[in-house]
Amino acid sequence: MTLRYDQVSYRYPGTSTGVFDIALEIGRGELLAIIGASGSGKSTILKLLAGFLKPDTGRILIDGKDVGASLPEARRLGVVFQNYALFPHMRLWENIAYPLKVRGIAKQARRARAIEMLGRVGMGKRAEDYPAELSGGQQQRIALARALVFEPQGLLLDEPLSALDAGLRLEMRDEILRVQRQAGIATLLVTHDQEEALSIADKVVMMRDGRIVQIGTPRELYETPADASVAAFVGQSNLWPGSISGDGMVTTPVGALACDTQGKSIGTKVTVFVRPERVEPITGPVDASNPCCFAGSMSADRYLGPVRRIDMAVAGGAIRLETHLRGSITGVTIPHDAIRLLPPTS
Amino acid sequence: MPFVAIAYLIFLAAPVLLLFVGSFGEVWSGTLLPSGFTWRWYQEVAGDPSFRRAFTTSLKIVTTTCILNILIGLPLAYAIHAGARGGVRLAARIVTLMPIAVPELVLAFGFILVFSSDALPWLGSFWLLAAGHLVLTLPYTVTALVADMDQLGLAEYEHAAATLGASFPARMWDVTLPQLHTSLLSCMLTVAALSIGEFQLSNLVSGFLSRTYPVVLLQAFYGATGFACAATVVLLGLAMIASLTSGLTARVTGRRKVGAGA
Repeated sequence: MTLRYDQVSYRYPGTSTGVFDIALEIGRGELLAIIGASGSGKSTILKLLAGFLKPDTGRILIDGKDVGASLPEARRLGVVFQNYALFPHMRLWENIAYPLKVRGIAKQARRARAIEMLGRVGMGKRAEDYPAELSGGQQQRIALARALVFEPQGLLLDEPLSALDAGLRLEMRDEILRVQRQAGIATLLVTHDQEEALSIADKVVMMRDGRIVQIGTPRELYETPADASVAAFVGQSNLWPGSISGDGMVTTPVGALACDTQGKSIGTKVTVFVRPERVEPITGPVDASNPCCFAGSMSADRYLGPVRRIDMAVAGGAIRLETHLRGSITGVTIPHDAIRLLPPTS
Repeated sequence: MPFVAIAYLIFLAAPVLLLFVGSFGEVWSGTLLPSGFTWRWYQEVAGDPSFRRAFTTSLKIVTTTCILNILIGLPLAYAIHAGARGGVRLAARIVTLMPIAVPELVLAFGFILVFSSDALPWLGSFWLLAAGHLVLTLPYTVTALVADMDQLGLAEYEHAAATLGASFPARMWDVTLPQLHTSLLSCMLTVAALSIGEFQLSNLVSGFLSRTYPVVLLQAFYGATGFACAATVVLLGLAMIASLTSGLTARVTGRRKVGAGA
């Protein structure tokens, strides 16, 4: 059971926004996360798959069959909505049994199946309660159980954790992953929370202005972002405009840096990208003869628990670093292998 | 502030109380309160054929108006809620609110002009009267229902039900209607109250045999005071029964739909 977008485009009538040339494939048991700022088109992608919108061009295939023209109720996809959309007038077991009811399964059988699902999400004792009696995390579990009870061909999660407290979010993230793995089902997760996407997805898709900017594993997106926008959206980063000044050298506002210039010719404009945790702090005297060392003073020092996020003011700009060191920092080293050259921002 | 509130309540309740007292008084002329006690006036109202007929007519009209309001108002409100955007929504709003803005008298003259013609000779019929009441009450139903539908966020529940495999009729019956039952209940209470007390339009378009209770009641004031009081108290009772019944009906049907949830 795979979910596939084959060059899908959709434009909202009367506007220039939408999604364009979307090509994606989600394999059986795979969890694909779509990230991007609001308005980047990530929810539109979910709505196209769920059947709330019909593509203008291209095909949407579920298990190899083109479903572009079929109604949402015919697609057999489990969807968990941002606010869960549990039916307030139905008991929990009735909520979960609803997809079985509309498929004509007898009351006893669907009740038994619903109770079994309740047990699977750890809510076995609450069958007779109403949704309003539950906390956000519990409603989330019920929504997940309801979306999976009819053995759908795919699972669609629309910002499933955004309505929860920070602490509960981590717990539910693991819970979703556990249930998804157990069901072995192709899953599409839409989220604006890049950390959530990196931590549970097999593949991450970064969207901007209705187009896919990059598809890759979480590690690929984090370590080798396609451009500055991906680097800035996924995690923290140092991004400086620069130009190649020689073989293995690039000049930036903070100074000249040694790195692999991949044969780029002198004068080529680039964006220099360094993750803050790859910047090495110096606590003693700074060796000024080393071109990768910069003396400076701390202009901002944020205590985040396990690490500190520090902005070092150096001649010509600021360098952000993350370190677990607790003492005062006098300078930084940027190792040559920590530097990546991205296309220049226009 | 409490003083003002109490004074206002007395001001509101006093006429009703006096009517009640007056309806049991034997003689009432020139004094503040009547003298003597009698059931006579109620017996006379109950025995009067035109009052009896008007009483039944009113009950039938209220029931019909409520049913028509649900049958027409509910789909109309849903269509506006689900389909209409911007301009269409505004137009629908203006059209539904028109009967409230236009004086009933104007509406009634319109009815007389149109339905006394040879082509549409329905003036004085029961169904034309019911139609008149429908036109007057429908705006309240549609406005209230559309507001509640928007506020409940029905679209997301319906989307959820669709992805779970429910067809449009199943979504309506299992998800949309049960959530609207409180809304329907309050609509029916308003409609019943408006319909039972409606005088202007009914007075002009009802036929001699299809007059509603308020129309006939006007004649009571040409007779004995006690009789007028008793006849008015009956209208009060009628209004209360109508409101309670419509309220209860909505609640019972609502609960049945809730019970049929899964």
